[in-house]
Amino acid sequence: MKRRDFLKNSSLASGMLFVPNFIRAFEKIPKNKLGHKKLVVIQLSGGNDGLNTIIPYQNDIYYRKRPKISIAKNNVLQLNSQVGIPQHMSSLKSLYDRGYVTIINNVGYPNPVRSHFRSADIWQTATDANEYKSTGWLGNYLDAYDLKSHMAIDVDNKLSLALKGTTKSGISASNPKLLHKNIKDPFFNKLLQQHHLDEHLSEENLGYLYKQAIQANSSASYIFENSKTYQNKANYGNNLLGKQLKTTATYINSHLETNVYYVSMGGFDTHANQKNRHKKLMSIFSKELETFVDDLKSQDTFKDTLIMVFSEFGRRVEENAGHGTDHGAANNLFLVTENLKQPGLYNNMPDLKDLDKNGDIKYQIDFRQVYATVLERWLEANPKKVLGKTFDTLNFI
Amino acid sequence: MENNHLIHLYNRAGFGILPKEINTLKKYSISKNVTILFKKAKKHNPLTISLDSLHQLKEQTETLELKSKIVKENRKLIEQLNHHWYKKLYTSKAVLHDKMMLFWTNHFVCSSNSIEQTLAYLTVIEKHALGNFKDFILEISKNPMMIKYLNNQQNRKKHPNENYARELMELFTLGTGHYTETDIKESARAFTGWSTNKTGFVFRKRQHDNDLKTFMGKTGNFNGTDIINIILEHPQCALFISEKIYKEFVNPKPNPKHIKKMARVFRENYNIAELMEFTLTSNWFYDNKNIGVKIKSPVELIVSIHRTLPFKFKKKKFFRHLQYSLGQKLLYPPNVAGWPGGKQWIDANTIMIRLKLASSIAQQKEIAYEPESTFEDDFETISKHKKNKAHFIFSFVNWNAFQKNVQNTTQKELQQCFIGSRLIPETQRIVNTMQNYTTQNFCIALMSLPEFQMC
Repeated sequence: MKRRDFLKNSSLASGMLFVPNFIRAFEKIPKNKLGHKKLVVIQLSGGNDGLNTIIPYQNDIYYRKRPKISIAKNNVLQLNSQVGIPQHMSSLKSLYDRGYVTIINNVGYPNPVRSHFRSADIWQTATDANEYKSTGWLGNYLDAYDLKSHMAIDVDNKLSLALKGTTKSGISASNPKLLHKNIKDPFFNKLLQQHHLDEHLSEENLGYLYKQAIQANSSASYIFENSKTYQNKANYGNNLLGKQLKTTATYINSHLETNVYYVSMGGFDTHANQKNRHKKLMSIFSKELETFVDDLKSQDTFKDTLIMVFSEFGRRVEENAGHGTDHGAANNLFLVTENLKQPGLYNNMPDLKDLDKNGDIKYQIDFRQVYATVLERWLEANPKKVLGKTFDTLNFI
Repeated sequence: MENNHLIHLYNRAGFGILPKEINTLKKYSISKNVTILFKKAKKHNPLTISLDSLHQLKEQTETLELKSKIVKENRKLIEQLNHHWYKKLYTSKAVLHDKMMLFWTNHFVCSSNSIEQTLAYLTVIEKHALGNFKDFILEISKNPMMIKYLNNQQNRKKHPNENYARELMELFTLGTGHYTETDIKESARAFTGWSTNKTGFVFRKRQHDNDLKTFMGKTGNFNGTDIINIILEHPQCALFISEKIYKEFVNPKPNPKHIKKMARVFRENYNIAELMEFTLTSNWFYDNKNIGVKIKSPVELIVSIHRTLPFKFKKKKFFRHLQYSLGQKLLYPPNVAGWPGGKQWIDANTIMIRLKLASSIAQQKEIAYEPESTFEDDFETISKHKKNKAHFIFSFVNWNAFQKNVQNTTQKELQQCFIGSRLIPETQRIVNTMQNYTTQNFCIALMSLPEFQMC
């Protein structure tokens, strides 16, 4: 009998049922696989309204500019005497109270672009506003450290630009079975698993194609074979974010060697009738996030996981005629993990008296400073090597 | 003309060649075959669709509800145009013209959510695809869709907007490093007042800056046309365009010697047809090192399969999703720099879909793809589309047409036609084991090889 089967079968008899899950899980996993740092990026697509997420509930300007859509004081859960979050985000509040959340305000970049596509590209490629690049910052990370595709997983079916590198790229894997089915084909196996094939492959285009195909094949198999160890029973909601986070937790708790996970949630482009839509989005978001954190905690993997939540831009301070908000500029960004250096609010709330000429929040912290910090202090990578430039790091982890 | 050269010519100046066509065309010389390509290019059909449904809506009295209906109708018609463009590519004989249109729409990149602007823009591209570059760029600079896309309607004397001036030099004519930031500022002033009333070009006199500008060492009261003329005097412009043509049609790795020769021809009249003819008839175009070294774009891949093996999608939306999953949806460019192409088409996921495409079509197998979603979609819409499963997206394969396309052809000829003859030895060995395959299965196997992704 294999040791693994033995463990499974003997758990009842030996009283291991009462041992926390993660301790049992440890026994099955080689030591070197445990404890590596994992980054989970959550992209809120469409432009999340940061001002209705983190609320300056003592600020008159906020209420004056948003007569229809502001969150009333009595619906705010206080973070401190000035700042709070809406009641419908109580799950996030509970994470916050446990010291797991750092909120960085006024994150953006110079000359903000208000087009979804461009601004999302700028965030994903970590470039200046007037620079076009076809590789993403996490793809560059794979390039710089020569990492395999499954080291950065997009928990979706289409690979985000953030995970595309020049010679390396991540892999999107929303469903390991489907991924495996896609690649499981006798013809491909024959073609891609030939001995000595590698020796004939150059970095030229055809060689590159073969290498990518071989890589896709082996990464798809790796994910499929290794993600079965954890049976996820956590109570996620039946929605897209819940599904993606559940898959992510399954990967993490199965101890894949993956460093980076990329998750996205759409629907934040709230130009009209924002109040209920945004409320629904944010309650789904914060509820699923807490479920995810607890799922990881149950397997003791949360301490090695950093979650970063961002959106391509914030929204205009002043509401529009359709009871919604238009595209804005700087926004808040969340970091969620244990052992944060500065849990809570990292810096000041936006100054609503000092907006840019569009009436949008001005940036104080370049988003690439956040990336540089995550790269250096979490992924133990050289930020300059990945981002191509030096950015001052921050002090949240 | 040698078979492999003829195949190479059609891979680059078209979307591949069928075995039956090889037999007819191989008896001609290179220059005769290039002439034939140009002759057919002249007979291109305009890319257009009926706008009756939109016009009917516009005749109604304007209400908020109607406005949103018109927006929806525009979106629908642009999707329809996307399908229509593909249909044209599947069957068109004017392949060189089609190829040039794809090239120029990825050079003068812009997009719009108005079908009328989109069609007007495509008309300009069609008109000049093999015409005069000077006329081309002037008309593009006055095109409403481009003006809107690069915010030139906000370029006013008091508040110049540099967007168009910058991209004109960086992406359309010179490339970085051949102009200064001052050149951008000064030329932006020259383009002030170049605006649009949605359907046509409008020169807004009062917004135009009539003071002196100093651009690339010259001083005068320049307008946009003057700026374009000065740019065209710069030798870098012909070099820049020639290099881009070289990378697209000859080899992604530029050869400065050949590019200089192309630029010399191009600069004489800025005639695009002359440049293309020179390129396609040059000896070096047929060098072995230029053959089979380009990664097909998703458009080239889909069209090259369809021309051999005509197929249909079960639903129109499946085709949109497939384009989206492969990373290239015609009329929806990622940004003003266009699709970067080459290796950037390929990642772990797109390569899987690409390699499975031919067999999924032929065997009507399911294929996993990502349903398209946009930033504007709300959470419910996105959730409705994402089912996270594989789909049977193809409904029909025209095997009769396929048989006609490949009849009386040996396996060796089929191999040469579809994937060339320089295979990785291991892969050639696998192909050699397929001798007892039917023609049908043999072709599908060839189209499932990484070599078929190249052209």
